[in-house]
Amino acid sequence: MNKNAIITLTLAALPLCATAQHIKYTPATSVLADTIAGRNGSVDVIGEGRMNKGLVINSLDAIAGQAAGVVTTGDNRMAMINSVRVRGTTSLTGGNDPLVIIDGVYSDIATLSTIYPADIESFAILKNAAETAPYGSRGASGVIQVTTKRGRAGKFSISYDGNIGFETVYKKIDMLDRNAYLATAEALGRYATDGGYNTDFQDAITRTGFVTNHHVAFSGGTDEQNYRASIGVMNHNAPLRNDSYNNFAAKVDLMQMAFDNHLTIDFGVFGSSQSNNNVFNLQELLYSAATLNPTFPNHMNAAGGWDKNATASQINPPGALLGKKNHNRNQNFGSHIRLKADLGHGLTAQAFGAYTYNSNENAKSAPTWVWAQGQAWRGEMKQETWLGNLSLNYHKRWAARHDINVTALTEYEATKQRGFWTSVKGFTTNALGYDNLTGAATVPYGLTGSGYDNPKLLSFMLGAEYSLLNRYTLNVNARADGSSMVGKDNRWGFFPSVSLSWDVMKEPFMKRQTVFSRLILRTGYGLTGNLGAISSYNSLNMLLPDGAIPWNGSTAVTYSTKHNVNPDLKWETRGTFNIGADMGFWHDRLIVTAEYYYSRTWDMLYEYDVPVPPFTYDKLLANLGKMSNKGLEIGASVTPVQQRDMELNVSMNMSFQKNKLISLSGNYNGENLTAADITSIGSLNGAGFHGGNNNIVYQIVGQPLGVFYLPHCTGLTKNADGTYSYAIADLDNNGRVNIEDGGDRYIAGQAMPKMFLGTNISFRYKDFDITLQVNGAFGHKIYNGTALTYMNMGAFPDYNVMKDAPKARIYDQTATDYWLEKGDYLNFDYLTIGWNVPISKTARYISSLRLSASVNNLATITSYDGLTPIINSSVVDNTLGIDDKRSYPPYRTFSIGVSIGF
Amino acid sequence: MTTHIKRTISRLVLIAVTISASTVLVGCLNEDPRDRISADEAYGTADKLLLNTVGTLYNYIGGNADSQGLQGTVRGVYDFNTFTTDEAMIPTRGGDWYDGGFWQSLYKHSWTASDNALYNTWNYLYKVVMMCDQSEKILNERRALLTDAQLNEALAEVRGLRAMYFFYLMDMYGRIPLVTDATTPVDSIRQSERSETFRYIYNELESVAPSLPDVHSNLQNDYYGRFTRPVAYFLLAKLALNAEVYADDDWTDGVRPDGRTIMLDVDGQTMNAWKACQAWCDKITAEGYELESNYAANFAVHNETSRENIFIIPMDKYLYANQFLYLFRSRHYNHGAAIGQDSENGSCATISTVRTYGYGTDSVDKRYAINFYSDTLRVDGKIVKLDDGTPLVYMPLAVKLDLSGDAYEKTAGARMSKYEIDRKAYSDGKLQSNDIVLFRYADVLLMKAEAKVRNGEDGSAELNAVRSRVGMSPRPATLKTILDERLLELMWEGWRRNDLVRFGLFNKAYDQRTPLDNEQTGYTTVFPIPEDAIYHNANLKQNKGYSD
Repeated sequence: MNKNAIITLTLAALPLCATAQHIKYTPATSVLADTIAGRNGSVDVIGEGRMNKGLVINSLDAIAGQAAGVVTTGDNRMAMINSVRVRGTTSLTGGNDPLVIIDGVYSDIATLSTIYPADIESFAILKNAAETAPYGSRGASGVIQVTTKRGRAGKFSISYDGNIGFETVYKKIDMLDRNAYLATAEALGRYATDGGYNTDFQDAITRTGFVTNHHVAFSGGTDEQNYRASIGVMNHNAPLRNDSYNNFAAKVDLMQMAFDNHLTIDFGVFGSSQSNNNVFNLQELLYSAATLNPTFPNHMNAAGGWDKNATASQINPPGALLGKKNHNRNQNFGSHIRLKADLGHGLTAQAFGAYTYNSNENAKSAPTWVWAQGQAWRGEMKQETWLGNLSLNYHKRWAARHDINVTALTEYEATKQRGFWTSVKGFTTNALGYDNLTGAATVPYGLTGSGYDNPKLLSFMLGAEYSLLNRYTLNVNARADGSSMVGKDNRWGFFPSVSLSWDVMKEPFMKRQTVFSRLILRTGYGLTGNLGAISSYNSLNMLLPDGAIPWNGSTAVTYSTKHNVNPDLKWETRGTFNIGADMGFWHDRLIVTAEYYYSRTWDMLYEYDVPVPPFTYDKLLANLGKMSNKGLEIGASVTPVQQRDMELNVSMNMSFQKNKLISLSGNYNGENLTAADITSIGSLNGAGFHGGNNNIVYQIVGQPLGVFYLPHCTGLTKNADGTYSYAIADLDNNGRVNIEDGGDRYIAGQAMPKMFLGTNISFRYKDFDITLQVNGAFGHKIYNGTALTYMNMGAFPDYNVMKDAPKARIYDQTATDYWLEKGDYLNFDYLTIGWNVPISKTARYISSLRLSASVNNLATITSYDGLTPIINSSVVDNTLGIDDKRSYPPYRTFSIGVSIGF
Repeated sequence: MTTHIKRTISRLVLIAVTISASTVLVGCLNEDPRDRISADEAYGTADKLLLNTVGTLYNYIGGNADSQGLQGTVRGVYDFNTFTTDEAMIPTRGGDWYDGGFWQSLYKHSWTASDNALYNTWNYLYKVVMMCDQSEKILNERRALLTDAQLNEALAEVRGLRAMYFFYLMDMYGRIPLVTDATTPVDSIRQSERSETFRYIYNELESVAPSLPDVHSNLQNDYYGRFTRPVAYFLLAKLALNAEVYADDDWTDGVRPDGRTIMLDVDGQTMNAWKACQAWCDKITAEGYELESNYAANFAVHNETSRENIFIIPMDKYLYANQFLYLFRSRHYNHGAAIGQDSENGSCATISTVRTYGYGTDSVDKRYAINFYSDTLRVDGKIVKLDDGTPLVYMPLAVKLDLSGDAYEKTAGARMSKYEIDRKAYSDGKLQSNDIVLFRYADVLLMKAEAKVRNGEDGSAELNAVRSRVGMSPRPATLKTILDERLLELMWEGWRRNDLVRFGLFNKAYDQRTPLDNEQTGYTTVFPIPEDAIYHNANLKQNKGYSD
């Protein structure tokens, strides 16, 4: 048998093999070709052609909106992507980030964000259990496999990619300016300080952003040995002042064959250094900029401080806040080596080893004009990971109809994490920032510390795939993961999966029809485990420093457990069923894929509320609850025009998601424990919002995660003095309005979209092409807490208000559904025009040249009234679904790019 | 054929090697914690055992988060005992201090069982109770490490502290479960009647007192900040004084047992509650406590030498994390700026309080100027200005519960003074070095005066000792003058709710407050059992008068 064929087939079966992540696909340039390749099996592969164009400075931007069921959220293409969700949220406490695998090495989203999009050959997105089960616990929330570019046989080549772009803010909140502010105060008979200026603080904190991006790659070699090396630098000054990102990355990959090509050696080294200057507290800065008295100056006073509006205690002069620093430095180094031996007779052995080092340093300082004595923080987290695995693969094909492929794998991963942090205060100068902590008078107890942990994971896996007549394929997988973090008796989790596919086109009866050009049906079921909520030593009865006390004449530190110990912690498990079809019509001019999935999470890890007494602490991390997720993902790709000089492609993906928190109770140590049915997740912040009934988004048993649970406002009522308040309905008809949880509140909608849409339209005419990407989200709501706050005349004149507020005369900031709005939107993500400059075949040095111009964040269509509907609508945290004075000012990016091949 | 077999064998060997290599690795799943210690390390010697069972409990007397700590923090024990009374309030000041109606609900008594701070306070108090149970268990398990004297003293201290936490729980929540075993399962937790809890706490304190060190723990000695014998005596006196309240199992029926018929034990002698209270007060006097000649010295930045303070939360801005937010949250913004610190412009005295002090009359109590910032404010001799250039004038009589839109929205109310401002305070003024006073001797004298009056005796000597210290003229001791004196003397010290309940005034109209519709039954004299506590433990029954 042909050896190459064996290798190819082995690779095709490789969802089986845990680390050698090469999904079979052929590099291609057209959108359509990628889609075809990508739908081989149900693994969605996004190759270069399908990656986003426009200005892409973060590798995850490259797939935003391109894959059904994958939602990326970040602050509009800032260097740090906040999160990625594959098929939504499946766990309450943690581990919702998909596993990122870069060239076989387990990694994370932060590291992926440092890799240059130009270095990436493809993204493969694994969503179904049968695909992710081979990764056991790590793959519970989906897997993004990233394959970086390798050297290719052929002549030596150099390529350069560069962009340059400007970013301008195009929308801000309409607040009262100086004259209107003073006039309003006068009309109300309220005293307002006149600082003598007319400052638009929202303008004062923004600037024209600037992005530059350069990337050079070299490659060359033969079939037996090749290499690729690349280096990239990126600099991004975002439109908010003091918000900037720098990234530098270098990468080398080598491939060498030996012993008559029986042994293949892959070796790779990657290093990156990222430096981010973040806004210290986005909400504080934006809230202050919007509401500070507009007659105040935007410069320091003669005494070298900032004039503070003394009656507005919750805000500070934005100029002073910009003096706060929050800097992050992230250094990565990774190397891996893979030895693959072809032992003959269909047997392949593989050994893989990887070492990665990550250092994350955070340094912050707050000057004396923000914090009376000034304060500075330094912290560092260093992580080293060793990963090794051995696998054996056996492949056999006989009688032209049977094909079997078996893989056995064992894998060990050990991580060492060391952290150190300190915080000091008592500065007399702001000049030192965080660079010389001895400038501070005190190092308070408890603010300096260090930590160490060393979690380990050991896995065994056995997988087999059997294919009959190239039509019917059965895939069975079993993986056992053992983790050092789980309770001693529950250390091992067992995660099997099974999947079936049927290539209908290969059936004789399909030969005669001409409509279908492809038809594959598939289904699968599998279990995955998740330990995201557990950290090292959680299940052990260990003691931590509790605090310093006076003891026998001096100061001593005491120790206690500090949390309820649960020695029975075990794996959170999720079972996923999926069924789907890939259909191609008329020679694949139209391709449609559809997939339905249903997953159920059980033994769900969560910090359950437990009764005190008998527990000491009111939370217990335990495996009790249940949650379900279901959804439908539809992808369609059509090529209405396909000629030599002209081609039009339209592709679209839609994903419908439905999540339900089934239960938060269960049995613990023979006692039935329940957690609160109604738990608030997110509330409003700002003046007058501390505590009280300002909770907006809740987690409610029986509902999707993140629902709005609010009092119902029947309208505005006019008070005796001519002002207005929100009229609140007595929903439970008990004759009394009570807006506490469980009182007059109702479920008013969900924070997570029911449907996501991604659309890509590309058109090529001769050497010119134009691409438009439109993304959208539907079916969810947004709480406009910004408007609730800025429309409340009760806060005036301490806090500035919106232009419409004096006329509306609302003197109320009770959170009701009055400010709950539809969150549906369609966002024109980018428009790119490119020109592939024709290069004469005889040109000596240049082989290709492409020029492009893009606009990112072209426009948003929405009925939402606030700054932007693109807020956090997918990650379950305290910002989910709430627009609360923290929306990054929306900005547009204009950029030009050039790509040259030598 | 043979080559075939050979190959098969070599494959099997390969598989075997892979599997056995993997098996070796199974041993590699053991944890090796380095940044925390095991129980054997923490409790392995006598010194460590005492530090980590007894000492660790002292991390929780003060606090640095909402609802944590007995005093110094917000939305906890102190606030529920202060802003629910005629002593002080936090009015809504426009955009500030509405906070979902929380502060107004305290003043109006319209709190409900779903109040979050009430639940957090319950969890805080019981957390320390359970830590005490745990410490008691560990001390007993490892008693071999200790001498009998050490063990005896340590167990007494743990039980004494636990009794004190039960005292706060009983005082606030009425019917509470007495959980004294760390291994109690959820379903065997039951509430005790209030009288039963009262007897338990009393007996417990009485029985541990002799084993406690006989030391003034407010002084910076080896027992600084700790639960020593005089602290136990103070609580015993408090319990005896409130015996009519605590021995009453149904506080909504309008009848209370008579203190003269409630018999308590003091050192083997049985006497009525009023006599018992006096006896415990006398024992405190015998410990050598006396009134400081200077009232304010008890609250100075360096108040560790006070001869009057009995139980304090040790504060040191350099060493401990405990916070003191009360000055910070009371003073006006410009007031904070004038002393180089921050502020929240919130809490202030009620009108009835400043009237009791004689504010606006010719004879103002001498303690008024110490306890309050009032009228035109001067810092370092200079008048503090508002942003409009006019002087900052605190308006004690302009207070109302909702000041929004009022001309004195930001300046109404006499503000908290009492504790000396630590001009070198950290955290914008939240971290001072003044020890927070929980129990002090002036209260002992007033308790004794009241016990005497309630028992038909003359309590004038004790009352007037307190008055003459601050240069105030004598008054005859009556329940009325004693209650007034308690306000004058103990303002901002967290006892007002306890006093009003005992005097039967808590559920009545006072200051600007009108009682709730059905409040005459007295159901608001205890707080509701938090709804979430009942949700997690169905055995708990709600207090009378509160709907579930």
